Amino acid sequence: MSRTTDPGGAPRGARGPSRRIVLRTAFTAAVAGGTAVILLPLRDHGPGTAPAPAKGPGHPAAGTEEFAEMYRGREIRGSVTVLVPAGGPGAAEGGAAEPVTEIRIDGRPLHVMRRADGTYLSDVTHYESFPTLRETARAAVDELGTARLALPASHHR
Amino acid sequence: MYTRKNQRDLTRTEKRRLVDAILKLKSSGRYDDFVVMHREYYVMDTENRPRPAHMTSSFFPWHRRYLLEFERALQAVDPGVSVPYWDWTRDRSTTSSLWAEDFLGGNGRPGDRRVTTGPFAFDAGNWKVGAGVTDQNWLTRNFGRPGNNPVSLPTADDVARALKDPVYDTEPWNSISTEGFRNRIEGWGIHRVRTVGNHNQVHQWVGGPMAGAASPEDPVFWLHHSFIDLLWDRWQKAHPKSAYLPGRKPAAPGRDRDYVFGLDDPMPPWNVTPRKLLDHSKVYRYA
Repeated sequence: MSRTTDPGGAPRGARGPSRRIVLRTAFTAAVAGGTAVILLPLRDHGPGTAPAPAKGPGHPAAGTEEFAEMYRGREIRGSVTVLVPAGGPGAAEGGAAEPVTEIRIDGRPLHVMRRADGTYLSDVTHYESFPTLRETARAAVDELGTARLALPASHHR
Repeated sequence: MYTRKNQRDLTRTEKRRLVDAILKLKSSGRYDDFVVMHREYYVMDTENRPRPAHMTSSFFPWHRRYLLEFERALQAVDPGVSVPYWDWTRDRSTTSSLWAEDFLGGNGRPGDRRVTTGPFAFDAGNWKVGAGVTDQNWLTRNFGRPGNNPVSLPTADDVARALKDPVYDTEPWNSISTEGFRNRIEGWGIHRVRTVGNHNQVHQWVGGPMAGAASPEDPVFWLHHSFIDLLWDRWQKAHPKSAYLPGRKPAAPGRDRDYVFGLDDPMPPWNVTPRKLLDHSKVYRYA
């Protein structure tokens, strides 16, 4: 694989600006709203780590996950970062905790979304979802075959 | 009033006229507008905004209207065509006439999964995909996605079980509604409860764009959804006393109800209510 020569790929280990902006925006909004916020750093919990089960319809609990690996010749990495009110995760009831998810395949971002049962789906596998970002990324690689993700600039929406 | 036929009953001429009309929409740019529209209204059930098309009660009426719009666009090109349906409980072979050279073309080739047969093959010169998911411009398919995690087409029994449910939809009116005809057909897998079914499963089985966010890029999308629309008819006939749900909005709606379209809530982008779409008998019929 020629991922090091990929003109669309971000430098290894680099974070895209969009994530920082999202985090800052969410933080600012929460502070402006008078809610103290703690940015929880999340570490690799290893393969098979599932997010906490949803607390009930419409109030999915936030997952915690970070990974990087080679899968079928593709470099996949992903992370979930969660903003939690200062009261702790238990105080998140009502939707205050907003997980910020990111997956990259060979450096290119994969749009990831979350369902009401707490599972994730992506632009590549839009009709099934997975408990972890790692499974979501692997399924996207399986479905992509030899294709690469589009560059963000050509991404509609 | 016109008829939507089973695709297996189309004549050679009917297939050619449908394919020609689709290719004309594609070359005019109209076709790609439909791809973008589908993507635009695909709202997740964790988002705090209305979701008319998926993970929602109005899955059936929204797609009914969406198909009607597409059909009108086709008929502006050729008034004699309509959207046929693919009954995947019967036509289950990867070499069925649906996938023949004179209709939709076949499975992707080994390796890069590129469709190389039929009018939608890249080399035929009339069909480019790439609405933002991958950087490839050729249509791909991967029937049954052999390998790691294969998927089969849903069966007649799967459909029969869904049709047996007398309730149209249930709270929380989203992708984790475990009861109700709507999500049994829409087919969301529910974590620790059940796996992907019916409508969603067919998207997976075809693979390529059909499995992703730009699913109408594969023309089989329309034939699949024509059958989904027909299944709604069958359910209505089987349960004449059952109504579309949810009905009127309660005075103090809960969070689950806020972004869902009840019987009389106008759906974007057409501002049409589910009620207006319950009966299509004056517009088209299924044969």
